Amino acid sequence: MPQENSYPALQAEGLTKQYGKRLALADCNLNVPRGRVVGLVGPNGAGKSTLLNLACGLITPTAGMLRVLGSPPAANAAHLAKVGFVAQDTPVYGTFTVADHLRMGAKLNPSWDQSLADRRIAQVGLNLKQKAGRLSGGQRAQLALTIAAAKRPELLIFDEPAAALDPLARDGFMQNLMEFVAELGASAILSSHLLSDVERVCDYLIVLCASRVQVAGEVKDLLAQHHRLVAPRGELDRLPAEVEVIRMQHTDQYSRAVVRVAGALPRTPWSVEPVSLEEMVLSYMTRAAGVSAGLTDAMAGEAVR
Amino acid sequence: MIWMSWRQFRTQALVGVVALAPLAAYLLFTGLDIRQAYDRYQSRCEVADRCLDAMSQFQDDYRTRLLFLALLLAIIPAVLGVFWGAPLIARELESGTQRLVWNQSVTRRRWLAVKLLFVGFASMAVAALASLLLTWAASPYDKVSGERFAALAFGARNLTPIAYAALAFVLGTVIGLLMRKTVPAMALTILAFTLLQFLMPNMVRPHLMEPVTVTKAMTADALRELRGVGTDATVKGLSIPNAWVTGTSKLLTASGQPVDARTIDTCLTKPPQTAGGGAGDTAGCLGDLNLHVKVDYQPNSRYWSFQWIESAFYLALAGLLAGFGLWRIQRHVS
Repeated sequence: MPQENSYPALQAEGLTKQYGKRLALADCNLNVPRGRVVGLVGPNGAGKSTLLNLACGLITPTAGMLRVLGSPPAANAAHLAKVGFVAQDTPVYGTFTVADHLRMGAKLNPSWDQSLADRRIAQVGLNLKQKAGRLSGGQRAQLALTIAAAKRPELLIFDEPAAALDPLARDGFMQNLMEFVAELGASAILSSHLLSDVERVCDYLIVLCASRVQVAGEVKDLLAQHHRLVAPRGELDRLPAEVEVIRMQHTDQYSRAVVRVAGALPRTPWSVEPVSLEEMVLSYMTRAAGVSAGLTDAMAGEAVR
Repeated sequence: MIWMSWRQFRTQALVGVVALAPLAAYLLFTGLDIRQAYDRYQSRCEVADRCLDAMSQFQDDYRTRLLFLALLLAIIPAVLGVFWGAPLIARELESGTQRLVWNQSVTRRRWLAVKLLFVGFASMAVAALASLLLTWAASPYDKVSGERFAALAFGARNLTPIAYAALAFVLGTVIGLLMRKTVPAMALTILAFTLLQFLMPNMVRPHLMEPVTVTKAMTADALRELRGVGTDATVKGLSIPNAWVTGTSKLLTASGQPVDARTIDTCLTKPPQTAGGGAGDTAGCLGDLNLHVKVDYQPNSRYWSFQWIESAFYLALAGLLAGFGLWRIQRHVS
């Protein structure tokens, strides 16, 4: 993959999008290097679609700076050619046949790779003569993916690609997606409200909750930085300043904390356990949801016992 | 992008052709029919005193049908604006397909520009064909009637229908872009365009060129040709040969003041008896007062100037709207 240029795949500073009074995305700062498969995870309504629609230029930010592959989103035709986007619920033209869609791709994209498109359409078993309006959700997603990928973009963006698919179609879609990414040598960003959708494929993670980026980074770094501390109840109340508590739970005897430490964890007298990606994401989501610690954690405590 | 425009437009284009074909056939038939009738009446003109009568009968035979056709032609631009213009962007926004097509390697502005040109020229071609046929079909009638500026006929001959179609189409497209919903955009398009088509001949067209003003003496003979005189000294139905009368003043006295209501009233209700008696008395009574009116009119020789000015006005408006749409789509639409 040619990466002589130093621009990142996605770079945001203070990126904000407001719809009237509703804040869809607030003060978002990101610097995602190229060559990554990025998982964008967060609950429904967290602002994932807003961020991705901003990234492909469908909407414009209210404030802040956003660069995609070094340029403002959808800056010009050449830049549009470098970014492939598969929108939520994978829109296609209902009256167009599959072949019409490929023809559209060929006519509207100078960098269109017809053999790649043909090969992939054959591989997923789509009938060229079929009207797109009569395709199943999974087939439609495959078609949208092929159109986005056959223009050979440097960056592929998927907004909840698997949300509407049954498990089998989802599996086929994700596999196809990863083959495309590998074949094109492209970067990719996938959003989902379920970590399990993207966990398998992504090596970079962004957790977006309540319109804000909670945490972002390489998966391996995130796993190295997050720990679970278990100590007798009350002993975790005074932790060193460099230890950031993401989530604290108490049972009758024990306190359990998911913490983030930038460097090495200071020596502690308590038991330190590794944290799974899922638990880490859940901790951030819980913190962002702002649910009163007493209530949820009391319930969590019940569950632990 | 041209292939894309055509692929998305072809069903609508087919519907348009299917709808236009019978109209075109009927216009052809009417044109031939009018020519035959014209020749028939013309042959009566060999006897000089029957010619006027024959031509007036010829006009009576075709007046209603041509008025109906002119009305149909006035509707065509509105239909194009509603069915070709309003859905052009609104349907994409409604079905979410703009998220597919705007992420191909074509900027939104170019996407819209090609569509506007492609479907816009198709709309103008439809109007041009219909206008050409009707102008041809009605030409013997128009030559006889000399009413070139009649509101419906003026907008249904020669250039103006083409410019109307261009504006109606762009108007529909831009309304669709702003409203983002096809059906409400269609409704607003028809409303806005109808309003414009009502205002244009009544409020704007008379002033496109500085009218010629003449003073016309209101002799008893001149008064007898009028359709009526109001008690407030207004004059109805004053005509000038080979011209479009755009404004008539009240009945004025020699000093230029409107004649006072009581005098008119006297002449209208209790005119002094003359030898003839009856209706002739009012005209005679007013004619004796040495009255005159000021008349504004546009001579028929200005017909082509008006056609060009009004067409240019509509095309410029369409251009401005298209420019606004192109600016808007890049900046504000998601």
